[in-house]
Amino acid sequence: MVDSTSFFTRWVKLSPSILVILLIVPVIAGLFGVLLPAFGWLPALGENNIGLRGFEAFWLTPGFVKMLALSFSTSLISTFFAVVLSILILGNYFNSRLLNSIQKLLGPILVIPHAAAAIAIGFLVAPSGLIMRLFSPWLSGASLPPDALLPNDPYGVSIILGLTLKELPFVLLMAMAAMQQNEIKQVIQGQYKVALSLGYYPFTAFCKAVLPGLYPFMRLPIYAILAYSSASIEIPLILGPNTPPTLAVAIMQWFNDVDLSLRIKASAGALVQILVTLCVLFTWWLIEQAVKKFSFSKLTNGRRKYADFIWRALTHCLTLLVIFSIALALLGLVLWSFAGYWSFPNAYPDQLVTLHWQSAFKQLPETISDTVLVALAATGIALFFALFALEAEQQRQKRLSSATSLMIYLPLLVPSIAFLFGIVWVKELIGGNAVFSMVVLGHLLFVMPYVFLSLATSYRKLDLRYAKVAASLGCSPWKVFYAVKLPQLVPPILFSAALGLAISFSQYLPTLLLGGGRMNTLTTEAVAIASGASRRISAVYVIMQLLLPAVGFILAWLIPKLLFRPRQ
Amino acid sequence: MPIIKNKRLLFKTPFLMLGLICMLLANCSFINAREIEQGASVQGTSAQGAPAQRASAQRASAQKAWQQTLNEARGESVYFYAWGGDPQVNRYLQWIAEQVDVKYGIKLEHVKLAQTSDAVSRVLAEVSAGNMSEGQVDLLWINGLNFATMAQNKLLEASWVSLLPNFALTNPQQNPAMTMDFGVPTNGMEAPWGRAALTFYYDSAYNKATSSPPPSTLQELLHWSAQNPGRFTYSKPPDFLGLSFLKYALIILNQQQEADIFAKLYQPPTDESELQLLSPLWEFLDRLHPYLWRKGQYFVTDGASIRRLVGDGELQLGFTFSASDIPGAVGRFGLPPSIRSFAMKDGSLSNVHFVTIPVNAKHKAGAKVVANFLMSIEAQAKKQQPSEWGDRTVLDLSLLAPDQQRMFRSPDQHPSALPVSAKSPSLSEPHPQWNAVLTEAWERRYGAKRW
Repeated sequence: MVDSTSFFTRWVKLSPSILVILLIVPVIAGLFGVLLPAFGWLPALGENNIGLRGFEAFWLTPGFVKMLALSFSTSLISTFFAVVLSILILGNYFNSRLLNSIQKLLGPILVIPHAAAAIAIGFLVAPSGLIMRLFSPWLSGASLPPDALLPNDPYGVSIILGLTLKELPFVLLMAMAAMQQNEIKQVIQGQYKVALSLGYYPFTAFCKAVLPGLYPFMRLPIYAILAYSSASIEIPLILGPNTPPTLAVAIMQWFNDVDLSLRIKASAGALVQILVTLCVLFTWWLIEQAVKKFSFSKLTNGRRKYADFIWRALTHCLTLLVIFSIALALLGLVLWSFAGYWSFPNAYPDQLVTLHWQSAFKQLPETISDTVLVALAATGIALFFALFALEAEQQRQKRLSSATSLMIYLPLLVPSIAFLFGIVWVKELIGGNAVFSMVVLGHLLFVMPYVFLSLATSYRKLDLRYAKVAASLGCSPWKVFYAVKLPQLVPPILFSAALGLAISFSQYLPTLLLGGGRMNTLTTEAVAIASGASRRISAVYVIMQLLLPAVGFILAWLIPKLLFRPRQ
Repeated sequence: MPIIKNKRLLFKTPFLMLGLICMLLANCSFINAREIEQGASVQGTSAQGAPAQRASAQRASAQKAWQQTLNEARGESVYFYAWGGDPQVNRYLQWIAEQVDVKYGIKLEHVKLAQTSDAVSRVLAEVSAGNMSEGQVDLLWINGLNFATMAQNKLLEASWVSLLPNFALTNPQQNPAMTMDFGVPTNGMEAPWGRAALTFYYDSAYNKATSSPPPSTLQELLHWSAQNPGRFTYSKPPDFLGLSFLKYALIILNQQQEADIFAKLYQPPTDESELQLLSPLWEFLDRLHPYLWRKGQYFVTDGASIRRLVGDGELQLGFTFSASDIPGAVGRFGLPPSIRSFAMKDGSLSNVHFVTIPVNAKHKAGAKVVANFLMSIEAQAKKQQPSEWGDRTVLDLSLLAPDQQRMFRSPDQHPSALPVSAKSPSLSEPHPQWNAVLTEAWERRYGAKRW
């Protein structure tokens, strides 16, 4: 037994550490690559006096307080809205079939790339956007688009709108995933039933009996989106103001500026970005504590009803509004992609043409093949390590240490703008020239956590008795793994793969920076075109961005059906 | 002792595996550098090579050198870093790629940049990391400040342009614009590719409905904006197009100044000249901004957005550096059919744009051959057609044979195109350092407030 299993078991034992190394080394190296220039050490420019020049320059940037405030407030407010909206939806539709339909409707939003969502929302809320067209001229009286301030308003309202719509499905789905875990499910269902039978109104029962137990499972996802949104690029770039932009966007612009001495300032800014993200997380933690303290007595005060009907009506309205705006955004995209000239205030294009699709299709095949190849490579590697790491967990019969899990999520928690530029810098130092592998590595950092997360739930739920029976019949661990466990896991593996592909498809900054512009994926092209002149081509790219992950998920859903069709 | 043995392996294996994965990935990079098909044939020594017998010995050796370059270039993959925001330009570059593949066996990859400065910082990062011959950027579309920066930092290959056979067609002796980039001598570091002049366009339907004729001078623009608030804007510097508008205004507003003060526009700015020359501009902008789109509180980040906003009807007056874009955009339904182009009567800012080769480019021979082809009659004539791109040629048409000249004529003038009769004094670009000064001072005045 020892001989036949040695390689597999040893490999399995090692894979968690390899996985961690694979994620941690680039992040740490990247952070170093930012830390040194931030303190003035950039030998490439003949700058090697350690000092605080970068921070001074940053401090003197016009509007830097506004920048910080914008990053801080948009991420906090949008997350707050997303969480409140999720709680409203969960609470009011708890145990109802509606919740599942909402999950099915919003699920696909999760995999829409941020860039695509931002472009679609921009189309919707612009003064010449679909909403304004629907209400013009009969209601607004406008025969020309009004000179309104959305999108790109200086207060970040459009950023908040975009982030909220993008974060809502994530929080919602994460909470629902937690709710479906067996041990949690039993507890919360039992408490909810007891609360109802004691005469609590449904929403109040949810808030008092379910939420306190559920929230801890929503925390990590919430912290992840807080961190992400405080440093996100695509949505503020497309929907945000530019006098000044958010901190992350400004940092990106400085890094890319023709004036190379700005890199020191940008590196200093990247460190400040980490501080801002920490501040956001800390503020959220404070809010959590305040809510906990404030609501503690309320939980046990015995009151059965807190305007439940109003909350319910509000939830209905908000859910409808969210679904309606998503539908309208999609409709707008499709219309724009086929629009000939489309004069304001017509709600329908003056003529429909296929010209934009034709011209996009001349350029698309290569872009799509590159996009898919990178995604397949990154997802394949991620799946490989995630499976073995989870198998290691089962062989040791102990969950991964919390430190290890934290490492896996590290790329999601550290603002990517802070370490990606550092990776580029380190790569230049080493003199690496490989484009494809660098992009795959960059994508892997972001694909891995999601693949691991989505696979872990199913893997940990596996009924181990099959494995034990197989082992007692003399199967080697390797055979148990591939002949007993893997077949049971085909659907979740495929789902994780589809998720991994979708995450990879949506990466903007890693592709742009690590690919050095040589690797054009759908997302980088879409962002480049969003800044260009043609709304119509832009719409075509966004639709392709939506279709590609959708194909992945459809395959993930279809393949098990075909593989395991019950035989007659 | 098996346990000890295990431990040692435990230490070694992850690194081994990592190494293995890296190697595997590195091998995968064939996806970027696809194999080049051999077998395309060269036709003649150069497109317009004169018969070798009549040429002087010097010319023959030049031709031999060029033939050598052509041979070296065969099979190379040339990475052309060029702004990729315009589908029409992208399509033209695709055509170029097909042509150089067939003619010279060069695989041309268009790396679409959001901003040219991305490529500049890339080259600098490479050079400063000691990468002197393996650079990723082979050819770069550039002019103005980016060129000045690169030239100043010695990031460009020098004295190669005069070796290109087609360069003579631009008649550089008679045509100083071909060897000066925003007042900075090019010293053979960049090859001219096209020229542009600031052209305005407006929606004639709107104009008819409101009976306010489009402005034809800078001062009229101010009146027009006051009458049509929120229907005009410019892009935020450092965007190229926005800066161009500011420079147009800067030149016009200072034309009344004394000649020696006005001449300072074409020298590096000093504190004194900034004060003298910029004050009229700020005065003008202070009056203009309240009437701009979004009351001047938000400026689009890039010039291409202006065209989109005109297409959406949010703006009614736009401007561009490539006049021929406009009929193309109308054809692609991006602008209404009622759009008309015009040149300002008080002058049009004009410049030439170039392609350059970074000093550390990996495929210099291929890049030179591509640069030469970009200046060929065939490529230049196609580029000037409004249906292709409509960028004005850099060739001196008087040097060409009549049938070659005919290739540059467009078959029929689109109503939205700039009328051929449109006359407008050509205003040359100020010294490139004014860009930075303008950007910074603009940012201080109209950009983000300190708090």
